[in-house]
Amino acid sequence: MPHLSTKVMNSTNFDACPECDLLLKPAQPKIGEKAHCPRCGLLLSRPHKQSVERTFALSIAGFILFFPANFLPMVGITVLGNVNTGLLMSGVLALFNDGMVAVAIVVFLASVLFPLVHISLSLLISGHLYFNRPNRNLAMWMRWMLHLDEWVMLEVYLLGIIVACVKLMAIAPLKFGWGLYAFIALIIITTMLTSGLDSGLFWQRIEQLRKKDNHEC
Amino acid sequence: MNAKTNALAQGFIRCHDCGYLVKRVDHPATCPRCDSLLHGRRPHSLQRTTALLFSGFFLYIPANIFPIMNVNQFGVGDPHTIAGGIIELFNSGMIPIGLLVLVASILVPSLKLIGIGLLLLCAHFRWQVNARKWTVMYRVIAFVGRWSMLDIFMISILVDLVNFGAVQIIAGPAATAFAAVVILTMFAAENFDPRLLWDNQQNL
Ligand SMILES: [Zn+2]
Repeated sequence: MPHLSTKVMNSTNFDACPECDLLLKPAQPKIGEKAHCPRCGLLLSRPHKQSVERTFALSIAGFILFFPANFLPMVGITVLGNVNTGLLMSGVLALFNDGMVAVAIVVFLASVLFPLVHISLSLLISGHLYFNRPNRNLAMWMRWMLHLDEWVMLEVYLLGIIVACVKLMAIAPLKFGWGLYAFIALIIITTMLTSGLDSGLFWQRIEQLRKKDNHEC
Repeated sequence: MNAKTNALAQGFIRCHDCGYLVKRVDHPATCPRCDSLLHGRRPHSLQRTTALLFSGFFLYIPANIFPIMNVNQFGVGDPHTIAGGIIELFNSGMIPIGLLVLVASILVPSLKLIGIGLLLLCAHFRWQVNARKWTVMYRVIAFVGRWSMLDIFMISILVDLVNFGAVQIIAGPAATAFAAVVILTMFAAENFDPRLLWDNQQNL
């Protein structure tokens, strides 16, 4: 369908603002600069130096940190000689055992499963782009990752830990474990990943890889 | 559709997932770049947002009257509601943390319910407004929603750590209702299409 594809190509001479639908000439800010929508002020793009490499490196670091953050104790509390230590999963199980199944599932998704899936997708996508390897699932992975963004709630969980600790400090001495430090590092990395992702560039690269793949077939 | 500067009014559809701009005359069903379904505007945006908002609103009532957790000490139960937990933090002198929980668990959910309601009214009745200000309001609502989960995470930590036979914390029924409110309002914000605000402005 050469006719259709040229038509579709033509339309890329323009962009539209995702929140106010203003028809725009594609903004091409320099590295380190920001492009905002002139009508509604939305941040349209903020390119980074070596965006793919940066995302790839951060994803590897995040993927590694995920495990100590989940399997090392975060906070310990001592009452009358008994020590209780908390993990992300032990909180989920405690809710589950109390019969709060729905809440347990929500906490599990937002603090364990979604972060893991999100960082794995980020690793997969940036890895394929980094090594210029086409894959027909790239666009699907990218869509999933963008939809998962706001359901990864690690930083909210950290705030929950802080409030819980303030409440508990009044009752008993607390001990902070390596799990907590790994968790904080993981939050810094996921925040850098999501806020620094140049999705426009990623979609362009995915499209290029797809075309390359079609030519080779 | 009065705003002539809008891409849709000029015959373009922006892919919601990848941002690709497609000409409407081609009648494409899916995005040529990422294969997701193309829609000029979010389908049934106002109906879906309204349904989610009302469900959230009704669950907000049990979330606030039932206890969100029970503190059992030596067989004596002490139920806490959301507001009760905040008052307790204030009484024990933890003002900053008390304010934080007040904002996350009471101000954000209630202002969010009101804010989404206003956005719906504005889009439905085609109010002539400063659309930029309303879009900023939408952006704030969409951003702050997830922070209300703070209370739920805090409870999961307390339930886990405070479990010493004689002293126990158990989650209460309001926790389920509150988590549902946060999720429903997040979906409501996600389903609302802020571009509808701009479509209705006649002076653009
Ligand atoms: Zn805009």
